[in-house]
Amino acid sequence: MSSDVRAAARPARRGPDGPRPASGARGPARPGGPSLGARLRRVPLLVWVFLLLPLAVELFWVFWPAANSFSLSLTRWDGISPAEPVGLQNFTDLAEDPIFRTALTNNALWVLGFGVLSVVGGLALAVALNKPGRGVGFYRSAIYLPMVVSMAVTGLFWRVMYQPGGPVNAGLEAVGLGSLQRQWLADPDVALAAILVAAVWRQVGYIMVLYLAGLKGCDATLEEAAAVDGASAWQRFWHIVMPQLRGVNTVVFAVTVIDSLRTFDIVWAMTRGGPYNTTQLLSTYMFQQAFTSGNLGYASAIAVVIFVLAIGFIITYLARQARAEEQS
Amino acid sequence: MNSRLSRRSLLAATAGLGGAGLLTGCVGTSGSGGSGGAAAGGGGGGGGIVFQNSIQDTAPKAALEAIVQSYDGDVTMNSVATEQFRAQLTNYLRSNDPPDVMSWYAGSVARDYAAQGLLLDVSSMWEGDGACAGFSEALKNLSSADDGTQIFVPTNYYWWSVFYKKSAFERWGVQPPTTWDEFLALCENLSGQGVAPLANGIGSTPWMASGWFDYLDLRINGAQYHRELLAGEHSFTDPEVVAVMEQYERLIPYFDPNMGSYSAQDASVPMAQDQAGMYLIGAFVTQYFPEDQRDDLDFFSVPVINPDVPTAEEAPTDGYFAAAGTSDPDATIAFLSYLAAPEQQQAFIEQSGSSNLPTSPDVDTSQFSPLVQKGIELLNSTEEITQFFNRDSSDALQTTADTALTQFLADPGSRDRILEEWQRAAEGVFGQ
Repeated sequence: MSSDVRAAARPARRGPDGPRPASGARGPARPGGPSLGARLRRVPLLVWVFLLLPLAVELFWVFWPAANSFSLSLTRWDGISPAEPVGLQNFTDLAEDPIFRTALTNNALWVLGFGVLSVVGGLALAVALNKPGRGVGFYRSAIYLPMVVSMAVTGLFWRVMYQPGGPVNAGLEAVGLGSLQRQWLADPDVALAAILVAAVWRQVGYIMVLYLAGLKGCDATLEEAAAVDGASAWQRFWHIVMPQLRGVNTVVFAVTVIDSLRTFDIVWAMTRGGPYNTTQLLSTYMFQQAFTSGNLGYASAIAVVIFVLAIGFIITYLARQARAEEQS
Repeated sequence: MNSRLSRRSLLAATAGLGGAGLLTGCVGTSGSGGSGGAAAGGGGGGGGIVFQNSIQDTAPKAALEAIVQSYDGDVTMNSVATEQFRAQLTNYLRSNDPPDVMSWYAGSVARDYAAQGLLLDVSSMWEGDGACAGFSEALKNLSSADDGTQIFVPTNYYWWSVFYKKSAFERWGVQPPTTWDEFLALCENLSGQGVAPLANGIGSTPWMASGWFDYLDLRINGAQYHRELLAGEHSFTDPEVVAVMEQYERLIPYFDPNMGSYSAQDASVPMAQDQAGMYLIGAFVTQYFPEDQRDDLDFFSVPVINPDVPTAEEAPTDGYFAAAGTSDPDATIAFLSYLAAPEQQQAFIEQSGSSNLPTSPDVDTSQFSPLVQKGIELLNSTEEITQFFNRDSSDALQTTADTALTQFLADPGSRDRILEEWQRAAEGVFGQ
């Protein structure tokens, strides 16, 4: 999702510099030409209105509640009576909360598992399906298809798959692996992995499409030249194709990290963090604390932790991005 | 890519913005500001009663819709999935323009809201010729806030018991037990016949694990101790609770091995197929069974374990309360009186196919099924009535019980550690 937004935002940001018949200044404006103040003054009022309105909406609906969650995290609040300030008590409680620790570990496992599996799987599928051949279009659509259903529906669908006597267990029985049958979502040893499979099943098609687009942009003649020089298939992929996919890689990295950090719906739909909190993620634990137990202060403290983690990732990503752009 | 702003896209964008503005306008009028109103899913707009309810199962929902439809007044009915309703209820009540009438449970949850001044005083319905004036004293106590006013309108309740199929028991050659030892022997017998003696579904409905906990506590320590335990006056590490867990542990081998994956409803399927024998659950279980099996269902009360404690049964009571912030208290009370009237109670019970009991003594129960008659008899003869774990405590404490009990069922060897963690979590809940 975020990549779509970014792609859409980029040309718009370039707008004022781009060719605009109205201003009379034909041709692209060169950076370092007119001063910043002069350039800002040339922006028509209408554009300012268009920029400021969303900013005001964003400030009110996103930043204001977000700032509130910071102040709420320093209180004890049940949502009804007035909030009671408790200082950093919520955070010290978090440090000693075994469920929070489980959720933190699970989140790390999730980002890692979700990221690695969907990227490796998506890339492998893209490479395999990049070659023309019989039925390639069908396979591509079939693999992308799960993406059109929401995470919550994916979760419900896989819950049926994992049921005792459901397709997964029946399938194992049919191929003689009956001993591997288990209660996938009720067994704390495998429940998180079972959810991960469902999430990756949906995500892998998306990553595949991103890489397919990247592969289409690769120069085929380079690969042919390398083949003529005697490079093996693996060498061609790793040294010729991969460097050309650098742009796609950054997008995929961002999409995957953001998607995995905000995961909530599929876990909630499949296990609600159970059995006994073993599949709890930070997001599901936060929701449970806030809306089932009514500890809005404590839940806000978890939200702050999620925010700090996410902002850490985003800043690292932006810094990398800026450095890469300077180098090129 | 063309980055030029074309006239057409500008127009489209303007239209989009205008549309968004209109939508925002709608939220503004229906919610009258604040996230509470917006979360209420459209509170009371202009005129008429907004009736927010958590009814989810198909037949009861249809029954309630029919009843609301024939009400001679302007009522907007919004049905929200129970879990979401639970999460949003506080927001509904606190919003500036709350829904007028809401379905929920009698007991400590309603009392907590009343203590916050969020519920409408409906004492007038309990006096003179009010709709609830004839209800039993026990129901009146249950519907009263701490200050003695009535804030709840109970319309039906049901009982918990061990349900079984008469035909299946006949086929297996067994009888309903009358003592605890007979019960354990029956479990052993069914187990030997390849049947899962006890159905249960603690997967997406982990609170089902509290059913047996409640009953064992009621049978071993009595209702008084149980209420005090749930109010935080005793510790979950007490020897009394350990004794409960010891009995619970004896039952573990007899539960359906798939109970961790099942919901309360899923768990009735093996029982309908005669692969599971008995099910400790509320009377709502009847609607989970195929229609041609419902007459086959019967139940027995969990047998006495400690003869020194008074008999007790769980009878959760459902009904309605109204928001203190309702814009039209008279219309709200009129609608509540309609819902509580014997005709509506009877229509709801008959059409919903559940085995709920009416709260009004004026409902003609002679037409009800023998099962329901037996349920009425059971509740009339018991000495103590409790609700259910969450209704006798809070949803927050229920969460701690879900964690502790499902973990205990999977790993009974860690009982002492689990009870300690449960107590710690419970102290966190009571400390708030």
